[in-house]
Order: sequence, then structure tokens, then C-alpha cells
Amino acid sequence: MSVERHPTEDLPAYALGALDESERETIAAHVEGCAQCTRDLAQFEDALYEAAAVGAVDVQPPRDLRTRIVLRHRGARSPAAPSWTARIAGVLLRPVPLAVPAVLALLLVVSFAIVGTNRQQIDTYERTLAGVADGRVVALAPTSANPDARASVVIPKQGQPYLVVRLPTPPSGKTWEAWVLKPGPKAVPAGTSTAGDVFVLPLTAPLGAGDGVAITLEPSAGSPQPTTQPVLLVDRT
Amino acid sequence: MPDKADDVRLIERVADGDAEALGELYDRYGRVAFGVLYRMLPGPEAAEEVAQDAFHAVWRQARSYRADRGSVRTWLLAICRNAAIDWRRTRGKRSEREVTIDAAAELLSDARVEERVVSAMRAERVRAVVRELPDEQRQVLALAFWGGYSQSEIAARTNTPLGTVKSRVRLAMNKLRERLEEER
Repeated sequence: MSVERHPTEDLPAYALGALDESERETIAAHVEGCAQCTRDLAQFEDALYEAAAVGAVDVQPPRDLRTRIVLRHRGARSPAAPSWTARIAGVLLRPVPLAVPAVLALLLVVSFAIVGTNRQQIDTYERTLAGVADGRVVALAPTSANPDARASVVIPKQGQPYLVVRLPTPPSGKTWEAWVLKPGPKAVPAGTSTAGDVFVLPLTAPLGAGDGVAITLEPSAGSPQPTTQPVLLVDRT
Repeated sequence: MPDKADDVRLIERVADGDAEALGELYDRYGRVAFGVLYRMLPGPEAAEEVAQDAFHAVWRQARSYRADRGSVRTWLLAICRNAAIDWRRTRGKRSEREVTIDAAAELLSDARVEERVVSAMRAERVRAVVRELPDEQRQVLALAFWGGYSQSEIAARTNTPLGTVKSRVRLAMNKLRERLEEER
């Protein structure tokens, strides 16, 4: 198709995404080299998506969605500068190698358990966070082994910060343990819980501005340092 | 409403690998993007999953954004819509792959608009322009946009001649563009 023969008839349907594939390719090739059709297409699409923005359902996205989106890409910014994620990973990669297969098996069990999380638990978690009257709420990101796990740090204007957590009951002999990640190579133990479903875990260690928070699965007495990969993590609160 | 030049600067920062800029973009458009996905997909879990994929696509494609091809809002929502259509085609259960004619038949929902994206006054104007479209034109737009159907699929599903569907799409899109563009 020459630049002189503008696809005036089909350009509106192209903007709408309503052409069949062969038609789409022809129009796309023309638009690529035609300033006038590029401008016309932009106007069609701007009008259509403005109508879509008005026509979309007004619904609140999950509170931690933003954190997960940002965390997923933060590591890509500067590989030379070690992030909090890299630091906690560094701490966690030190456990005795013999323990690793057992840890992985345990994480798999946890993953399967979490996949079974039902809608009621999700609602309870969301409602609990929605009921936070004041202060800040910072979501932890689930790691790849446990994509359905959820937790948020609530930092009230007065009083001690606490975690709202959605995780399954830990296996027998194990506990969920929270960690505060301050500058330096070590994590600070910040409380344990053997609860499951949706529960609150008060942070027993001071949480400074910009500190990170993580949750790992540990032996029931708790550990002085994390011995498994985090199930939930935020590198800065 | 966000300033368009600010939007472009945000995209440039995203293209430079600034994850915080992606977060700021989410602050501006995350809610309306989620609303679009929520309307196109079978439930909040699918909308959540596709929203993450869509913002990852924004991250990967930020360098390809061209301001002369439309606003950042349009570009981002188009990425979301395409991601939703892909999800339905490849990952949705059979029953979730198709939006029914009834579910997609209205271009607008009754929900109030997210004012950070479209001002209330402008939203009313957009609603008025859409309502002025004849029912059959509004329906083909909705089926194509929310349902992801092509003109030939709409013709088959609604037992309407393809030429008629094409004509309705053309008339509706031209009217939307003219009325909304002249009042910008």
C-alpha cells in the first residue's frame, strides 16, 4: 500500500483492534511510514481509551500490588549496587548445605498449602488491612516459591509496628519468624508465630526508618539468624 | 489529572530502569488499569495477575513509547487490554475465554470514574458523547473493546452482515474522535 492511499475506511477498526490479522498487518505497515495516519490513529485511540477509562469498573486494586510491581523491577536498576533483597539472600545462602534439600521440600509443602488458600481468607486479610485506622501500611512481596502468601507491616502513629499476615499454619515443629533488616549483614529476630490463615504478628524488634522486614519458616524455638529463604520480604519500609 | 509532559518524563525514567518511576506510573494509572482488567477478566485474581504482567510489559517496552502516537494513558491501557485478551486466549479456562454478548454489550459501566485519570466534568462529557451514539453502534464498540471480538466475529455472533458491522464501527469511532477531540 502506498503512502498516498490512506486506509481511511479501516483505520477506525484498526484503532479498535477489530480487524483480522492480515488486515492489521497491512494497516500497521502503512501507519509506520505515514505521519498523517499516525496522527489520526493517535486521535482515534485517545478518544477510545478515554471512553474506556470512564467505562472501566471503579474497583480498589489489592493494597500490595504496587509494592510487588516495584519490587519485581527494583533489582534491575543497578546490578552493581547490592539491594536489600541481595543482602538478605546473601545471609540466607549461608546455611549448612545438607539442610537445603529438606528446606526445599518444606517450602514445596508450604507452597501447595498456600495454593489452597480460599477466598474467605483473602477477604479477611483485606478487611483487616482496610480496618487500619491510622499510620502507614507497607506490603511485603511474596517470593516465587509462595506467590499467594500475603503480609503487610502496619506502622501506627503511636505504638509498636505489627504484621498482618496471611500464611498457612506452619508444619509441626516449625514457626513463622519475622525479621527486621537493618544496614549490615545480619537480620534482627522480630517475633515468631505458629498461627495460620490470617493473623497478627507484633514486631518485637525496633523498626527504624527505611528498615526492611522479612518472614521465614524456622524451627519452633526460632533462630538467631534466618535458615530458610524468606516467604515474604520488603527491602524498605 | 496528571500532566502529559510529566507522564512522558515518567516513561523516560522507566526506560532508564527506574523502578520507582514505574511505581509513580502505577499511582497515576494503576486503579483505572485494574478497573479495565477487572471488567475484561473473570475475577480479581486474574486481574491482579494480568496487571503485574502488563506493568512488566510497560517496563520492557518503555523505550518504544512515542508521544506522537498517543498519550501515556492510552499506551498503558492498550497494553493492559492486549494482556487481558492474551490471557483469555491462552490461560483462561474454556468458560472464561469468552465474554458474553450481554456482558460486553455496554461501553460504559455505571461506576463513578477515577478522577485522577479523567476529571468529573470531562467524564460527564465523555458519557454524554457515548450516550449520543445509536445503540447498535455502541454495542459493536463494546463488543470489540471489552470482548476483544473482531468485526467478522461480531457479524457472526450477532447475525449481522459484515458490511453493516464495519459501517457501525466506522461511524461510531469517527463520532467519538470528532466529539472528544474538538473539546480537548
